[in-house]
Amino acid sequence: MKLLVCVKQVPDSTVRVKVAGDQKAIVPEGVTWAISPYDEYAIELALEHKDANPGTTVGVITVGPPRARDALRQALAMGCDDATLVTGADVETLGGLATARALAKVVDEVTPDLVLCGKQASDDDQGFVGQALAETLGWPHVAIVTKFVASDGGTEIWKEVEGGHEVWKASGPAVLTVQKSQKDPRYPSLPGIMKAKKKEIPEKDLASLGADLGGPSVEIRAMEPPPARKAGRVMKDGDPKALAAELAKLLRDEARVL
Amino acid sequence: MTAPTQGILVIVLAAAVALGFGIGGYRVWKLYRYMRLGWDEDRSDRPATRLRDELVIYLGQSKLFKRPYLVRGLAHALIFWGFLVITLGTVDLLLNGIFGLHVPGTETGLFAWTIDLFAIAVLASIALAAVRRMFFRPPTMHVAPGGYVILVLIGVLMLSLLVFESAGIAAELVKQGFTPPPLAGLFAPAVRGPYAHLVFAGAWWVHVLTVLAFAAYLPHTKHLHIVTTLPNVLFRSQRPRGALRAMADLEEQETFGAATMRDFSWKQHLDGYTCTECGRCSDQCPALATGKPLDPQKIVLDVRDLLLREGDLLMRDVHASGTPPAHQTETKPEELWACTTCAACVEACPVTIEHVDKIVDMRRFLAMMESAAPPEAQRALTNIERAGNPWGESREARADWADGLEIPTLAEKPDAEYLYFVGCAASYDRRNQRVAKALAAILRSAGLSFAILGREETCNGDPARRIGNEYLWQIQAQANIEAFDRYSVRKVITSCPHCFNTIANEFPQLGGRYEVVHALTLVDSLIKEGRIRMAREGPVDRGNVAGHPERTTSSLDLAGGREVVAYHDPCYLGRHNKIYDAPRAVMDAVPGVERVEIEPHHRERGFCCGAGGGRMWMEEQVGQRVNHRRIDQLRAAQADATKVASGCPFCLIMLEEGVGAKGLQEQVRPVDVLELVASRLEGSADASH
Repeated sequence: MKLLVCVKQVPDSTVRVKVAGDQKAIVPEGVTWAISPYDEYAIELALEHKDANPGTTVGVITVGPPRARDALRQALAMGCDDATLVTGADVETLGGLATARALAKVVDEVTPDLVLCGKQASDDDQGFVGQALAETLGWPHVAIVTKFVASDGGTEIWKEVEGGHEVWKASGPAVLTVQKSQKDPRYPSLPGIMKAKKKEIPEKDLASLGADLGGPSVEIRAMEPPPARKAGRVMKDGDPKALAAELAKLLRDEARVL
Repeated sequence: MTAPTQGILVIVLAAAVALGFGIGGYRVWKLYRYMRLGWDEDRSDRPATRLRDELVIYLGQSKLFKRPYLVRGLAHALIFWGFLVITLGTVDLLLNGIFGLHVPGTETGLFAWTIDLFAIAVLASIALAAVRRMFFRPPTMHVAPGGYVILVLIGVLMLSLLVFESAGIAAELVKQGFTPPPLAGLFAPAVRGPYAHLVFAGAWWVHVLTVLAFAAYLPHTKHLHIVTTLPNVLFRSQRPRGALRAMADLEEQETFGAATMRDFSWKQHLDGYTCTECGRCSDQCPALATGKPLDPQKIVLDVRDLLLREGDLLMRDVHASGTPPAHQTETKPEELWACTTCAACVEACPVTIEHVDKIVDMRRFLAMMESAAPPEAQRALTNIERAGNPWGESREARADWADGLEIPTLAEKPDAEYLYFVGCAASYDRRNQRVAKALAAILRSAGLSFAILGREETCNGDPARRIGNEYLWQIQAQANIEAFDRYSVRKVITSCPHCFNTIANEFPQLGGRYEVVHALTLVDSLIKEGRIRMAREGPVDRGNVAGHPERTTSSLDLAGGREVVAYHDPCYLGRHNKIYDAPRAVMDAVPGVERVEIEPHHRERGFCCGAGGGRMWMEEQVGQRVNHRRIDQLRAAQADATKVASGCPFCLIMLEEGVGAKGLQEQVRPVDVLELVASRLEGSADASH
């Protein structure tokens, strides 16, 4: 089976992002970049399939700036077989639909059996590209996927639902958008890291793919950091009974949780 | 005796010698070849220290006399010293028997007396050893039948020696230029008579043949330690104990850690041959004591047994690798992950076996080759990689603890004399932030010039290295070395023993050499220089050391103006770096503090808190939690202690958790020794903010 995983490089969840002066973007300096967490689960799902089915190949692709190469390197270190970077002049401000169309061009070329994406990226949480890619390709799409297995003439796909899961079946190629699952994404082995360092990562020029990069898009009007949390209050001196009454009053009137 | 008979006897003797030493020698040769399957580790540095160790540890048997083992240690030393003397006599007997030569000095009265007295001591000691094995066997002691065979052989050796000495005196075969030694002299009249010659000859032959049986049998048993302890002590690691072995040129290697018997060094294999199966390491292991699957002695023996099993195969086929030790059914990964690297085993081992290095080498295989560290440990590694701390807190928040305290960074004050390397725990853990603040207050009151790195500081990689991820350790250590060198740092203070250990003992492996001091050592000398002044009633609320209002002073604090404080030795301060006295001296200097010990688990026998070796970030679901056992020990030894003080952020976290889980918050409060000092600082009321 030939699998293709689409990933996005985002600020690592431990990073405290700062809003840039124009309020349209974050300050990129000092940011630790990482593969978006759901995309990591998509890689893990693909690699588990490869572990169980030795004939499987796992490719990984991203549309992003040159620094996104590090995300691909990480995916290779985890055990993906090959990686492709699609990059170009205005790639950082590319909308979700244009990204999906660019990916679709590469999918046409690579002809994978399944395409896996994280269910959403952790930076904008739009959850759009996977679905848009399926739509552009004209492929079926299953969302919130936690598992898949090849079965006679197709793929059985586990989709998480409230309190359990449904099993869907795709008879041909499909796009799966992946949910966090029980097993954490694997930590690359050192030989894996060393091998990934030496691997070629071919680059494709965004503009020369022939994808329609126009069309409807969204624009960020302004972003601002969340308000700072107010300092807590400690009540310690006084009669416990009076303190309790005071606390109840504060919880009701100020915090409004009662 | 006629000449031909004499000639035949010499030939018989020579043949017996050849047979005995031949069988033993063949086995030794084979074991040597197996040992050399290990890689070539250079252990020739510091020859003078090696010689001293040989005299003290080998000849002096110094590691045998540890407190709980004093009597049996003495018994062993007597057997050992007796053997040294008697071996000289044996060499003399064989040389005389075959070639008619004598070792100089063996015909004197002094030598006869020495042999006689040692024979008595050895007989008494093996009687003690036999009784102990048969009737008072400790549960961790592993007694193979071979143990009794050896005791019987030694017994026969001593008895036959005494008999032929007695008969020699009785038959007047020995020149009587001196008073007969006590035991031989005592028995001599019993064998006097016509048969004295015969008894002499019989006992002589029994003695000599037993020696040869011993030589043939010895290398097949754990008693080989009689021979291997000498080189094992001579070639023991001269690295600081806290420093793990550096792995050079990671980029060029293809395998990492101990995947096969070839991936241990020859010295690590010699360790296996030297293990006496005494079980002292097991006795001291906190993991074993609390019901974990780890037993340090078993690890050493597993590797040895695997070498003996696979040795022939590996020697026949240079491409064969055998089964990775961490994949064997004997050594399970759970055993390796249970280790806190506290080095209680290494400290306890009388023959200087290096258990922790073996465990870490096998962890390196699991962590780097197979990415098979426990998932929680893996998460800590990812956090270190991405956020520069094992908790996964934001890099940007690293110096938030210092907000408003006016503690300069090196960028702001590049000429500061000291860098205070805060470490992840004191930077991010709320409880330990109070310790960092306490130290800052102390340093300031002493007028010391210091600064921190702020956001330029990152985890030094200690947990990564001990989990087995050498690669990540090197990246983290290198990043810190670069930051230090940016500001030409020379002197470093740490409040964390793990930071201290890795910066002082391990950074030099990557070229980072600094003068590193743990805060308690520094504070000790500042107190002695009179630069820190403390008052009985410090200006700061005693229960509120560093602006932590939720805990108030309770009546248990200063009953009668004194408080009883137990000291808990952090492994990486104590056993790994031999800093036992400075923290105690600091406590003794704090007015109103009465220091007590958690006996017998203190100093060299201090019991781990359970957090070392990356265990801080792993689940602990099997058996009793190590930190809970530590609280039990504290309560058993010092029920009156109202505080338990330590010098390590991880110990503090573990002790806090233990006290909390046992509902003892009102009885005993865990603190850092630095907090005791800060709470009594004389001078500005805002000394510790």
